[in-house]
Amino acid sequence: MPGSVITVRRDQAETLLARIYLWEIVKGCVITARHFWRNLIGYMIGRRRTFVVNWPEEKVGYSPAFRGMPVLVQMENGAERCVACGLCEKACPTDCITIFPEEVGDGIQRRPKVFDIAIDRCMFCGLCEEACPEEAIVMSRRVEVASITKEGCLWHKEDLLTPASELPIRLGHIRNGYDRSPN
Amino acid sequence: MDLISILIVVAKVAFVLIVVLHFGALMTWAERKQAALIQDRIGPNRINILGVKALGLIQIMADGLKMIMKEDFIPAGAHRLYHTLAPAIAMFPALVALAVVPFGPSFDVAGRHIELQVANLDVGILFVLAVSSLGVYGIALAGWASNNKYSLLGTVRATAQMISYEIPMGLAIIGIVMTYGTLEMNKIVELQGEYFRLGGLPILPKWGIFYQPLGFVLLFTALIAETKRTPFDLPEGESELVAGFNVEYSGMKWGMFFLGEFASIVVVSALVATLYFGGWQIPYVNLMALPALPRVLLGVATFFGKVIVLCWLQLLVRWTLPRFRYDQLMHLGWKRLMPLAIANLPLTAAWIWMLGGMKS
Repeated sequence: MPGSVITVRRDQAETLLARIYLWEIVKGCVITARHFWRNLIGYMIGRRRTFVVNWPEEKVGYSPAFRGMPVLVQMENGAERCVACGLCEKACPTDCITIFPEEVGDGIQRRPKVFDIAIDRCMFCGLCEEACPEEAIVMSRRVEVASITKEGCLWHKEDLLTPASELPIRLGHIRNGYDRSPN
Repeated sequence: MDLISILIVVAKVAFVLIVVLHFGALMTWAERKQAALIQDRIGPNRINILGVKALGLIQIMADGLKMIMKEDFIPAGAHRLYHTLAPAIAMFPALVALAVVPFGPSFDVAGRHIELQVANLDVGILFVLAVSSLGVYGIALAGWASNNKYSLLGTVRATAQMISYEIPMGLAIIGIVMTYGTLEMNKIVELQGEYFRLGGLPILPKWGIFYQPLGFVLLFTALIAETKRTPFDLPEGESELVAGFNVEYSGMKWGMFFLGEFASIVVVSALVATLYFGGWQIPYVNLMALPALPRVLLGVATFFGKVIVLCWLQLLVRWTLPRFRYDQLMHLGWKRLMPLAIANLPLTAAWIWMLGGMKS
């Protein structure tokens, strides 16, 4: 409910009506009762208007700037974009990324042999994404990554690979300079 | 007294007891749901039995089960007997006070005249006042027996508050007694079935609220203060006293304090409905002219409908107002409510004198 702005003049003496206080209580009760009936009727006719949603059955939309867990971008031929340069590993404040590189084909290109993210240590800061020169590691919109075991929190390369087609919002956001318009 | 009369009394006692306890349990659910709706939330809706959620009503069972399973802890240095006795004494008044409240019209069946009231006392109102004052003993005992300073502080606040608000409460009720000229709850409800007439046409039912609007506000305020709920919840103020007098209680003993508190909300509603809103009377419908079965069903339904509306109103007030400061509480009780309650008496007397007296 959009509220209207009420200016409170504290230098003015309270009116008699305000000092009796009963009328003010009635006014307050009318506001709470309005919320009560609006939400109750919203329930009954199936158009709920509460702010709280029934997670996980219902989800709210996240903004383009939302940072979920970091994932590896997968190209259309199935290979990762990552060249195992190790910049994200260096940038990570919590040391949650572990990379072991290997050479591919003629020995000019490299790729990660091991790319592990300990998601229980990750703090979703997005510095790995900013450090990456290849647009290979980006923040997805995935947040439901809880696990009850230490092993379950360790995400390997094959778990992290996500097709670029599944990350259009974040990739667009990055390519747009994090939505900071140049002018 | 033959066996059947005894059975009738037992049945009425059981009915009232079951209704109060169930209402009290339902209030825990109603309060959460209502608070949620007022604050644009959803409220409890997760607990289910085989997928049946029943709007979160299963939460009551889960709460009850939890409280029964919890360890019943008595702190070192506490008085074991009084510590155990206190919750029972705190709960007792709420269960007993409803004994004198008529919850439906009387009827004749098989040559017996049955009144839907556990005890038709000549001094019903005095009984309610006396019993509701007993509630303070449970609180005082709980705080003192716990051997805890926060408990004791809560107790001191609770006793001071309840004693202060008992005076305007009693004085406000005197207005009703003067108006209807009787202390019998039954008679008061019967008299509220009449009407203010204008040229022979019934305009308004002679409900207490139309005779005593000021008295209603005073009594309702004082009664909410007696139930120790926000805005008068200083005895349990979580942010100041941890939880006040019940800080050393756990498990079902703690649950009894709260069941008693919720039951006392129901009692307050029943009392206000009886004294100010015509009890089981439906305005412009003469229930006594109906045959016994529809009369009783309609009457009881009306009474509990009024109780539910007043419970809703109390919860609404509880989720609207912040807690008073202690001096504000005493200020309100002694310097506002009491003079108003005293002023209400000559006003009522003048009103009765102007109308030429209530007596027919």
